[in-house]
Amino acid sequence: MSGADVIETVETVDIHGATLSRRAFLGAGGVLAVSLGLVPSRVLAQAPPGNSLPPAKAGSWIEIRHDGTVLIRTGKCDFGQSSIFTAYRQIVAEELGVPIEAVTTVVTGDTDTTPDGGGTFGLLRGADNLRKAAAYTREAVIDVAARRFGVARSAVTVSNGQVSGGGRTESYGSLVSGRDFQLTIPVEGELTSFFGLRVAGDPPFKPASAYTIVGQPVKNPILAPKISGEATWVGDVKLPGMLHARVIHPATLGSTLVSAGKVDAAQFPGSRVVVIGNLVAVVAPDEWEAIQAADFVAAETKWSEWKGLPTHEGLFDHLREKVDWSALPASKGKSSGDTTAASAGAAKRHEGTYFFPYMKHAPISPTVSLADVRADGSVVLHTHSQNPQYLRMSIARMLGRPEADVVVRTYPGASHFGRSNGGNAGSEDEAVLLSRELGRPVRVQWMRPDDMLWSTSSSTMMSRIRIGLDADGRIASYQSDHHGPPMQDDRPIGAILAGLPTIGAPTPDNKLGLQRVSMGISDRWVYDAVENVAEACHATYQIGQRESPLEIGLRDHSMRTPIQFQQNFPRETAISEAAALAGTDPLQFRIDHVKEERFKAILLRLRDEAGWETRPSPSPQAQSSGTAVVRGQGVSIMFRDNGYWACAAQVAVTPDTGEVRVERITTVMDLGIVVNPLQLKRQVQAGCLMGVSQALHEEMAFDEGAITSTDWSSYPILTMEEMPEVKVVITARPEVGDYGQGSESANALAAPAIAAAFFDATGKPARRLPLRPDYVKAMLTA
Amino acid sequence: MVALKINGAVREVRSSPDTPLLYVLRNELGVMTPKFGCGMAQCGACSVLLGDEEVRACVTPVSAIEGQEVTTVEGLADRWAKRTGAAARDGLHPVQEAWIEEQVPQCGICQYGMMIKVTELLEANPKPTDADIKAALTTSGPSPHLCRCASYAAILDGAHRAARIMAEAKGQ
Repeated sequence: MSGADVIETVETVDIHGATLSRRAFLGAGGVLAVSLGLVPSRVLAQAPPGNSLPPAKAGSWIEIRHDGTVLIRTGKCDFGQSSIFTAYRQIVAEELGVPIEAVTTVVTGDTDTTPDGGGTFGLLRGADNLRKAAAYTREAVIDVAARRFGVARSAVTVSNGQVSGGGRTESYGSLVSGRDFQLTIPVEGELTSFFGLRVAGDPPFKPASAYTIVGQPVKNPILAPKISGEATWVGDVKLPGMLHARVIHPATLGSTLVSAGKVDAAQFPGSRVVVIGNLVAVVAPDEWEAIQAADFVAAETKWSEWKGLPTHEGLFDHLREKVDWSALPASKGKSSGDTTAASAGAAKRHEGTYFFPYMKHAPISPTVSLADVRADGSVVLHTHSQNPQYLRMSIARMLGRPEADVVVRTYPGASHFGRSNGGNAGSEDEAVLLSRELGRPVRVQWMRPDDMLWSTSSSTMMSRIRIGLDADGRIASYQSDHHGPPMQDDRPIGAILAGLPTIGAPTPDNKLGLQRVSMGISDRWVYDAVENVAEACHATYQIGQRESPLEIGLRDHSMRTPIQFQQNFPRETAISEAAALAGTDPLQFRIDHVKEERFKAILLRLRDEAGWETRPSPSPQAQSSGTAVVRGQGVSIMFRDNGYWACAAQVAVTPDTGEVRVERITTVMDLGIVVNPLQLKRQVQAGCLMGVSQALHEEMAFDEGAITSTDWSSYPILTMEEMPEVKVVITARPEVGDYGQGSESANALAAPAIAAAFFDATGKPARRLPLRPDYVKAMLTA
Repeated sequence: MVALKINGAVREVRSSPDTPLLYVLRNELGVMTPKFGCGMAQCGACSVLLGDEEVRACVTPVSAIEGQEVTTVEGLADRWAKRTGAAARDGLHPVQEAWIEEQVPQCGICQYGMMIKVTELLEANPKPTDADIKAALTTSGPSPHLCRCASYAAILDGAHRAARIMAEAKGQ
């Protein structure tokens, strides 16, 4: 018998709950491939649909090839965090015991070639899937080596890609060479659900004290091909016979189609209009013709009139006075002691109402997708998504077809900060519907106004904060009431306009995905020294949704540090105001009210790093009028993803013009294990500056019917000239074990620090964002 | 037919003369680094060099630039080699080298325009200050060059490193 064809006795071994089987001689090749074995006892476990990586088949998660190289697969996608190409490789290499260079290939996102699904958020928490897969794999390799070397498992060690025991050493590649090992690991969950699959069980992890790869400043390997121009971005994908489409979205968020305009065939010979319900589009083989023809048709298209929004100028009053907050049940956050009694007995009281506007994710490139619906009804969708498996579910639902018929392929695209973590960012569903209608591949590129007006938005919040101080100037009671619409609406807009099935509008009893209307505390309470605390959250429907005949309204969506940003801004701004009422330095006031040593340590570090002046606010030089620049400092803190964050801002305000400049911003964080300090620094620098942008500029404008922030002049963001000096101080505590997560938090911390610095500079509180000249002048004359 | 000079090569294009350069580059010529951002010259994602000057390809009809030299990021390395006689290391312009070395991008979609603008700056001002770099990327063109990820601190580092690489290369 020839060696290459021999089927050996299939041998199976239990590895910490995973199963290793050795299947065959393969001649020159050889691989150890990790596949998924769904845990049958778990409630959610069900087999993935066809066109997914089949359970218990080779290569779902990690492949170790006979040349010693390693391939990993993840359903997450990169949106500029770099983690799946840096931290994930580091974590896998560390657990396997191979050099980082050995992890040569990262397969990401595509629904037919990646195993786990779920949203691209909390990437380092999500790293647990591959970390566990790697730990199971290492244990299996130890088992293989123990048998090969004829020693006990405990006598085998793994280091730098070499496996040693009983005086023998072989490389990972050599151990699998000529054989096909399959390791089936336990997995639970549902592939196309919002959270996807999770690797189950508790394989032994390498102790953090033994780390040599986690903690290194590994460069991001996908940057070179992007910078050289070799990378294929989502907007670059082309298919033979492809048509370019532009969608003509309704006049308002509640308008229905009266009549679609016609294309002028003489002027636009290649163009045609497609109408599916209230979804109107123009397609042409030539993109520039499609753009011009769509403008022509849009001008001729009639929509019904609709008004049902409070306007952005009226939103604060709408939330304060018009919404019935008793209609839906409230939820509680931290609740301790007796705030009523403590507040009644307080020596001094601070009370304030704070307002956080709607904001836009506002990616630099508007969303774009290319769909190819074949004659048999199967769909290949080329796009850019933070949750491709959930998008696949949404597309299948819209079409009324099995999920097995839909494949989503993903490419690099513009960051959009959470907008597609429920699958769609806009355009995907429209491309699919147009391709189905026309029988050709269709590329839908949203124009800048489409992306501003027809995408979801980061939700608004109105918060009442009441703080009672005792005679010693310490917080005796803290009460917060946060009011807002829900965080998330993952219905694809094209499906809604076309009148096709979706997961349904957010309602109090919609159990699909995150569509339930509810509001909970996202900003965890951190001032443990305060005895009497009562946090409450009050939810309402999306603004305009029930009034709109299309059930659209202002659709909300999570955006970088979602809801925690909306809740941390009022809390931290109020704490700074309370410190002033107590006559205490606001940084020291925070140290006095936290018990956690890690918070105290970063606040002390911040005091040194930021050039902080210890004194109460407002500044002795504070002025609320005049043409002279006044300066101030402010601080904010946050606990997120097991990480401790503190930020200080120094600002310059010109009272008479209302101009606020951030001059310096310093962020200090303790994130436990820092996986990659180089990428973390870049992420936090940028996150912090995005926060400056949000604090100074960003508010989505809307009138009674539609969003009116249409472009970069009506939705300005930070420019390079406005960039303050940015300082990022990373502290590490590997002994605590958590992987530090740095892609969020920094942006949210900037706003309350800047608001507190404004208060310090002017003596006037800033209880709403953004701090742009018209609002600032109103605050200063209030 | 309009004849364009793109990255050193003459290309005849079939697109109608009023077509903005961006669509001709991307759809007819396969030159993909200029990205669609706004279509209104508000963001800089589509920037190219026209001669020595940065322009926005999304609002520049090809009829207006016939015969003029257009450089995109794909052509930066050759431009560097041709202008200085220095070899382009790894097929990259010093600005590209610096962008990799400093790990400048977050998502990266705006960075082609950023690199074009910084190339324009460094060709005219080989040793810029922070203020020069910020001004180039904010007030020198039709609009600021916008980065939604706000990678501005990294861009500043990248521009200074590019200036050093260029100075070293010319010194050799």
